[in-house]
Amino acid sequence: MNLLRSIFLIAAGFVVAVGFSPTSSAQGVDDQRLAHPPADSWPGYHGDYSGRRHSSLTQITPENVRNLSLAWAFQTNQTSLIKSSPLLVDGILYFTVPENVWAVDARSGHQIWQYRHPRSQGEHIGHRGVAMYRGFLYFVTPDAHLVSLNAKDGTVRWNVQVADVSKGYWTSMAPLVVHDHVLVGVSGDFDNLNGYIRSVDPESGATQWQWDSTPPAGTPNQTTGGMTWMTGTYDPELNLVYWGTGNPTPVLNGSTRPGDNLYTCSIVALNPETGKLAWAFQVSPHDTHDWDAVETPILVDGDFHGEQKKMLMQTSRNGYFFVLDRTNGKNLLTVPYGPVNWTLGIDKQGRPIPNPAKEPAPDGRIIAPDEGGLTNYRSPSFDTKNGLFIVDAHPSWSIYFAKPADGVYGWAGADYDVWGKGVLEAIDYQTGTIRWSHELGPQGSGAGVLTTDSGLTFTGDAMGNFLAIDSSNGKTLWHAGSGSAIVSSPTSYELDGRQYVLTSSGSVLFAWALPEK
Amino acid sequence: MTLTFSPLRFSLHLAISTLLVIGQSSAQTTAHKPQTSKPTSTSAGKTYSPELVQKGRTLFQQDCSFCHGRDTTGGESGPDLTRSKLVAADVSGDKIGPVVRNGRIEKGMPPFDRSDDQIAALVAFIHTERKKAMSAAGPRGEGGRKGVDPSDLQTGNAEAGKQYFNGPGGCSNCHSPTGDLAGIASRHQGLELEELMLYPKHAKQKVEVTLASGQTMSGTLAYLDEFTVGLIDADGVYHSWRTADVHYKVDEAVNAHVDLFSKYTDDDIHNLMAYLQTLR
Repeated sequence: MNLLRSIFLIAAGFVVAVGFSPTSSAQGVDDQRLAHPPADSWPGYHGDYSGRRHSSLTQITPENVRNLSLAWAFQTNQTSLIKSSPLLVDGILYFTVPENVWAVDARSGHQIWQYRHPRSQGEHIGHRGVAMYRGFLYFVTPDAHLVSLNAKDGTVRWNVQVADVSKGYWTSMAPLVVHDHVLVGVSGDFDNLNGYIRSVDPESGATQWQWDSTPPAGTPNQTTGGMTWMTGTYDPELNLVYWGTGNPTPVLNGSTRPGDNLYTCSIVALNPETGKLAWAFQVSPHDTHDWDAVETPILVDGDFHGEQKKMLMQTSRNGYFFVLDRTNGKNLLTVPYGPVNWTLGIDKQGRPIPNPAKEPAPDGRIIAPDEGGLTNYRSPSFDTKNGLFIVDAHPSWSIYFAKPADGVYGWAGADYDVWGKGVLEAIDYQTGTIRWSHELGPQGSGAGVLTTDSGLTFTGDAMGNFLAIDSSNGKTLWHAGSGSAIVSSPTSYELDGRQYVLTSSGSVLFAWALPEK
Repeated sequence: MTLTFSPLRFSLHLAISTLLVIGQSSAQTTAHKPQTSKPTSTSAGKTYSPELVQKGRTLFQQDCSFCHGRDTTGGESGPDLTRSKLVAADVSGDKIGPVVRNGRIEKGMPPFDRSDDQIAALVAFIHTERKKAMSAAGPRGEGGRKGVDPSDLQTGNAEAGKQYFNGPGGCSNCHSPTGDLAGIASRHQGLELEELMLYPKHAKQKVEVTLASGQTMSGTLAYLDEFTVGLIDADGVYHSWRTADVHYKVDEAVNAHVDLFSKYTDDDIHNLMAYLQTLR
């Protein structure tokens, strides 16, 4: 521990030295900024390390939000939907779609540079954004490479492979920077592959450590899967990184992987210096419904039934809201936040017990929620002011099939959505009671959530309207039709004394602010 | 409640961004180079050159396989293309091409800006995979989602299904085996019939709107969000209003299907399916 601490102190000293170096023209991002982002920045995927997506900014209020106006819009002129959360550092926004990074002036919305990665193999399904450390960006590609770009001009510093695309891996997530570690997760559901988190040296691209969520493919009676395709969170005090892992493979057929299938569908706590597992909590033992547990593990300090707790909360894709003690992974609360019909109850550890009769079958099983889950990668928000966990939920039903002829590789079955809708839910974190809800339309919305200290909730509905909602009661205060599907999460920052709310829809980024005086 | 912004300022931004776009496109190489090889055949039933199929496979894996599976049999959320009526009816991309380029926004499929040559390669790959799937017996390859055959859906008891239909299911409140459901099993089979039974996704809903004047308008619900309600009247004309200015009433009959989800056992569904399949 002492050794690690001294390594950290040396690393921190190095950061300070680089920060004051006369050759460094841009400040970039350092440990201090990542841990305590100033109001004029959004230096990581979730903003700060907590994953709360709760802005302390108060210029835009429930009273004046009706005057919210378009400050600018940026068009990528591509068909890829924007799913990333733009970083904001030193007045410049950095955001992505697969194989593309843009640097855009946050004041005007004009492009500073664009990086285009050569068209590569691998899934191009989406991209969540870049990470930044010092003056460099970290960007993953469909062919599972990690590329470091100079933030000044988008030129490539280095490019390393983090997974083998020929085996079926791809990457789409925004890396998480903790001290001098760039943490990268991987995707790959169509093959029986093991998931992992890899820590990469921000300067050289060399691998520092790798934590495997499942054993190597081919290990008898063991699961594969547990992909790590969403950005984790970090507690600097406990020095633990929290990460959600994906579903096991084969996906819908669990016959070759008896038991709980650790560590799939789990929330894990890792030491960022070593990759050593501190604890794990499995939210879906032996999953057979594709319910990744990668949804943001949000970190909240506060009262839990009279006791001060360091908590971790997740609205999981499997339909349950979990509150854990993040010092040790012990469960504090497990409660559904919408229709679920796949369990026999909750075990002593607070884990849902899967009902074997609800595993996919040759003649079909009706299941809630559907494969997309009661929520998914879109970010929820923890409103520290009202003590509410606010999530874009997706009450839904589906039918799941699997038969011997479907085999035991990759998907290994079939499932079909029957019905679903979108509902914004404000969950009381101490009880799981839904304090208010707000209908978002048929089939559901892909929009994430941002809350602010002034009492506003920003999100979007299933028809593509951006919404500003009163966080205390769920009433709509402002809206704007965006013209396309919203599959990203809003962010907010202050620049030149003006608060901006950044949203995206389709291939367009929109910056909203109150009219200039 | 409404969005306010200066039209002048907005058009200025548009003008600037248009200029930027022109500047960008001249400075960049195109992302997707046109491909030169031509298909040896463009008919759905025939064979394609291995090069073209391989080109299509590469494109399919990059942009389509997450939802439709690497072998086109379906992945996360997207349908099995080997069992798609649209693919079956496609000749030389005349059906597939427009879907790729325009997307199916209402079903969650985004548009893809692809060249004629790229579409031809995708079409070659999709038809080749379909042909393979149609002729293959036993497990189908590559880890994608698998299909459901009508024979998989024959585990129910028709008499029990009939009792459920007329009893606890409440189906007979709205439906009749000699009325709207007469011959239903001749029109729809297998999974398609089961999906329709569970929730008719494309059912048209009626809406009645009462204006401030007291006048009422009715028609087929065409659009509804928190702010706007739109209908298509008997003459096929679209009308819309701010929801704040009118009262509207949507026919909620279809929601009886939603109410059943939490009540169904799997046996109820299989029995109902067996009963509906007797209505030929």
